[in-house]
Amino acid sequence: MTPLAPSERQRAFTIAKKQDVVEKQRLPVRYHVEDADVRERPRRFLEAFAAILKHSNYRVALEQYLRVAARCSRCTTNCQVFLATGNDHDIPCYRSELLLKVYRRHFTMAGILQGRLLGDPGLTDPDIQRMADTFYDCTACRRCSLECPMGIDHGLLTHLGRYILSEIGIVPRALAVSVREQLTGASGNTSAVPLPALQDTLEFLTDELRDENGIEASFPIDQFDAEYLFLAPVSDYIMEAETIMGIGALFHATGDSWTIGSAYFDAINYGLFYNDQILEHVLHKVEAEATRLRARKILIGECGHASRCAKNFYPAYCLESKALPVVNIIEYAHQAWKSGRLKLNPQAVLEPVTYHDPCNLARSGWIVDQPRVLIRAFCPNYVEMTPSGRENICCGGGGGAVSLDETRPYRTLVGGRAKAEQIRATGAKICIAPCANCKKQLRELMEEHKVDCRIVGLHDLLYKAIVYE
Amino acid sequence: MPVFEAHGKKYEVDEDGFLQEPGIWNDDVARDFAATEGITELTDSHWKVIHYLRNYYLQFGIAPMIRKVCKETGFKLNEIYQLFPSGPAKGACKLAGLPKPTGCV
Repeated sequence: MTPLAPSERQRAFTIAKKQDVVEKQRLPVRYHVEDADVRERPRRFLEAFAAILKHSNYRVALEQYLRVAARCSRCTTNCQVFLATGNDHDIPCYRSELLLKVYRRHFTMAGILQGRLLGDPGLTDPDIQRMADTFYDCTACRRCSLECPMGIDHGLLTHLGRYILSEIGIVPRALAVSVREQLTGASGNTSAVPLPALQDTLEFLTDELRDENGIEASFPIDQFDAEYLFLAPVSDYIMEAETIMGIGALFHATGDSWTIGSAYFDAINYGLFYNDQILEHVLHKVEAEATRLRARKILIGECGHASRCAKNFYPAYCLESKALPVVNIIEYAHQAWKSGRLKLNPQAVLEPVTYHDPCNLARSGWIVDQPRVLIRAFCPNYVEMTPSGRENICCGGGGGAVSLDETRPYRTLVGGRAKAEQIRATGAKICIAPCANCKKQLRELMEEHKVDCRIVGLHDLLYKAIVYE
Repeated sequence: MPVFEAHGKKYEVDEDGFLQEPGIWNDDVARDFAATEGITELTDSHWKVIHYLRNYYLQFGIAPMIRKVCKETGFKLNEIYQLFPSGPAKGACKLAGLPKPTGCV
């Protein structure tokens, strides 16, 4: 990777906030934070930590990690942030140590005794400032976990660190504002899209599909007893017309029953980025809508984190004894193609195309082959990125980073640096990124690094390839 | 609350420079805010986009889908970026007095 030029380093690390805000909040971090009580933060942090330990099973993981953490730094080779900055504090196991150290000192018998004997004051406010900074430099992509010989999930520790910080009022403002609108606002979704606006948008897209293809596709709202309750990242209804049109066209081709819920239609769940209680509340909203409409499956649109949230956590948090199956739209399209219900034109897209794996879909190996099978079915010039699949490199906007506009220079120059070079090296003119977060970040990356490559969703292209019977 | 000053007027704005009270918007606000988006002069093309966004916002309470903005104003997406360098969801919305978009926008 080309090293950061001094001017780039300066731009990436500049804190855009006013100095008086930084001093008042006592937080020299790049992201905006809402004003919160700054008094006795170490005491409140420890109380929040204790409460989380009491009401979760994080202690099991922490005990294990504490025992095995070797701080060998093997993870360095896999962290795109460290590879760009070269700073010691960006080594994943160094970052994790900040939190493990607090756990060891304050929540283990040996640590408490040792602390008293040696007069160690324990957690301080500068420690908290350091965690607030570093846990949001990490994109929680979990690529480091592939290399850790001890099997430590540093992404989990980043998440836990952010969770505790959020409990004392330290959370990026952009995420907090969106979640507040989703859980308590009139619209009930992260982009504050009112239902009449959604209806207007869907009517518009129906007309567009008719004008472009002559098909009578529909976007059913509140269809009871449908097979699938469809939830897109709600920002797609503003930003990604072609993705939603592609999904409408896909259902027109397969004829399966699906519905969008009028009471709740947002897949986004920022709880995954910083707070388990929010994660749970948002999933309850999904469940309530699925129950109201008597849907049989939950279908998540092109969104990595939302898909992983629903897939991994819906079974744990749902209130009914039996959880509905969770399906990602790529899995659905792949199944439809495999079973012969979806016909694709093998020459539909002739430009060289590459595929970016969203971390939340690919890291576990969940959705790796399905999109490639589909792309090869309509594009003869598919180029693979290296590395890819489970070993993919994060776009640099993961873990909620992309929603923080004020961190854009950092995201594009540091977090996404490796990705930009990777895409450039493929020579592809189109890069498919089936995730709302990745799309936004990659477009900003292409602009910053002047890479001539168009970023689209998978269904944007699938839409051009569908052969209607 | 940050305050933005231009041409002798003061506006309460958020950290990203978006108008706090979308209700007080008028054409003068767009003119006053244009410089913050690197726009030296608002042409008829700018006004077409700004007024379309503003009217949609007053009717639906949110910015329209970007494809719809393009279709209704007749500008291609790259032309909108030429008019508003930070894009339709940020720059154009800011001049039209819409709140800053939230979520993954």
